[in-house]
Amino acid sequence: MDTLASLLHTSPAIAWMAVKIVIVFGGIFTLAAVFTWVERRGSAMIQDRIGPNRAALFGRIRIIGLQQLLADGLKFLFKEDLAPTDANKGLFWLAPFLAFVPAMLGFAVIPFGRSFVSGGTTYHLSVLDPGNGMGMLYPLAIGGMAVYGVLVAAWSSNNKWSILGGMRASAAMVSYEIGMSLAVVALFMTTGGYDPKDIIAAQGYLPWHWNVVPHFLGFIVFFTCMFAETNRLPFDFAEGESEIVAGFNTEYGSMKFSLLALAEYGHMMTASALIATLYFGGWQVPFVQNPTVALSITSFVLKLVFFAWVFVWIRWTLPRFRYDQLMHLGWKVMLPMSMVNLVFHAWRMSQGH
Amino acid sequence: MGVIVKKVELTWLDRTYVWPVMKGMGITFRHFIRQLFTRTSKRYTVQYPEMKRVMPAGYRGLHELKRFEDGAIKCVACFMCAEACPARCISIEAEEFSDLNITQGFEEKRPQVFKIDMLRCIYCGMCEEACPKDAIWLRNDYEVAAYDRLSMQYGKWDLMNTYAEADGKARITEDTTPTVPRRAITPPIAS
Ligand code: SF4
Ligand code: SF4
Repeated sequence: MDTLASLLHTSPAIAWMAVKIVIVFGGIFTLAAVFTWVERRGSAMIQDRIGPNRAALFGRIRIIGLQQLLADGLKFLFKEDLAPTDANKGLFWLAPFLAFVPAMLGFAVIPFGRSFVSGGTTYHLSVLDPGNGMGMLYPLAIGGMAVYGVLVAAWSSNNKWSILGGMRASAAMVSYEIGMSLAVVALFMTTGGYDPKDIIAAQGYLPWHWNVVPHFLGFIVFFTCMFAETNRLPFDFAEGESEIVAGFNTEYGSMKFSLLALAEYGHMMTASALIATLYFGGWQVPFVQNPTVALSITSFVLKLVFFAWVFVWIRWTLPRFRYDQLMHLGWKVMLPMSMVNLVFHAWRMSQGH
Repeated sequence: MGVIVKKVELTWLDRTYVWPVMKGMGITFRHFIRQLFTRTSKRYTVQYPEMKRVMPAGYRGLHELKRFEDGAIKCVACFMCAEACPARCISIEAEEFSDLNITQGFEEKRPQVFKIDMLRCIYCGMCEEACPKDAIWLRNDYEVAAYDRLSMQYGKWDLMNTYAEADGKARITEDTTPTVPRRAITPPIAS
């Protein structure tokens, strides 16, 4: 690290930061892109189909269709970039970025591996210092910003289906945020801190001490709300082929559409990382007390990929909810459930457990 | 008369919604695993250019103009198929021929031009039904495509050879019997 820093004429701290940013955001971006492929192949397998397997390098080397990503990316780049005549041009251009950036930013505080000491300096494996005082409030706050992406995209398209989709999605996101926050508050309470470092340290290395066991109710609420947050089936109210066409991205095409789609997958990654960190011990390796750095990173990535796959899996299992059912579930089931969870843990703590 | 709709009674376990979701996920996962470990040749999807479906008998695909064993066309240019064709895509020009002495007149008829516009054809099989000589068949080739419109106009020789390779028959490009009689007309003996 020091040699790299001296080569770049910067301090080791800055070099380390740059490396982390490249690795984390590059990694998340790649994972998000790969998951568009996983989603297509996975859904195909679930429905007894085959899925995209034809894209090939030089027309002959097929790696189980992975080049579909490249092909799609290239195609999106070269498509004509249209904006509807009556659209609010500025916002129309801004919206994909508003959707994409928060989806990626949420990842910044999540430690993806064990901190290690080398040459008297502690290196943290997360973009921001895990003990920086913002803690897990930051990804939740950033997650709330995702509504803007959808809403601005919908509003600026000047299309009534888009508006309907955007309104529905933002209403769903806002109402699920409350239940989610309460579930996380209970978790902060029992941990006694809201830094990801504290939360991961408190969970230990034994799977039955991970938060998912004592906070099972909270986990269900949080997990469900993550689906609403990421705007994915069964709660993807921004879209709805039978009623509002493609919803908020009806008017989008070319790279802007691709960014909106990638934002969804980026969100999925961040949500999976959150679930892994909050409820499944982050980088902790089951039954290994002091894992090596590489092992801890592997463990975290595996958890991340697994939860991302669960997102895909659930999407192709459940049908979309009806809008009133969604509101019913959000306000009358999820919110009381997370409140019960909160009160239960408060009571347990007062009993000295 | 009213119809009694049977109400489905949900157990408390079903009402939690979590359990049925898990059951559903089990089902989808079973499908996923099964499909993942099925060989491509056993899957439902036919991987088209590498694998081809075997068409059932009686499939109405590309036409063939039948021939006799000596390679002569069976069609007698009776125009029945052209009449029956609902898409009006067959055009025939007839000619007479004879291998006999020209003085006896022509007694055979065959198409000189037999054209089917495959772009207009709807593969209904009416021509096959109408033919009194069983000279036109719709068979199992369904890969009728071309890069331009002109190559979709199948002429007489195209139609006679459509299944030549599939059946192991020789390609023929000319009629066995020429229009002009081979046998020379014997000039009247000068007297
Ligand atoms: S199949 Fe039908 S449409 Fe085609 S040439 Fe025969 S009669 Fe005409
Ligand atoms: S193909 Fe059959 S129906 Fe058509 S002109 Fe020839 S003999 Fe007649």
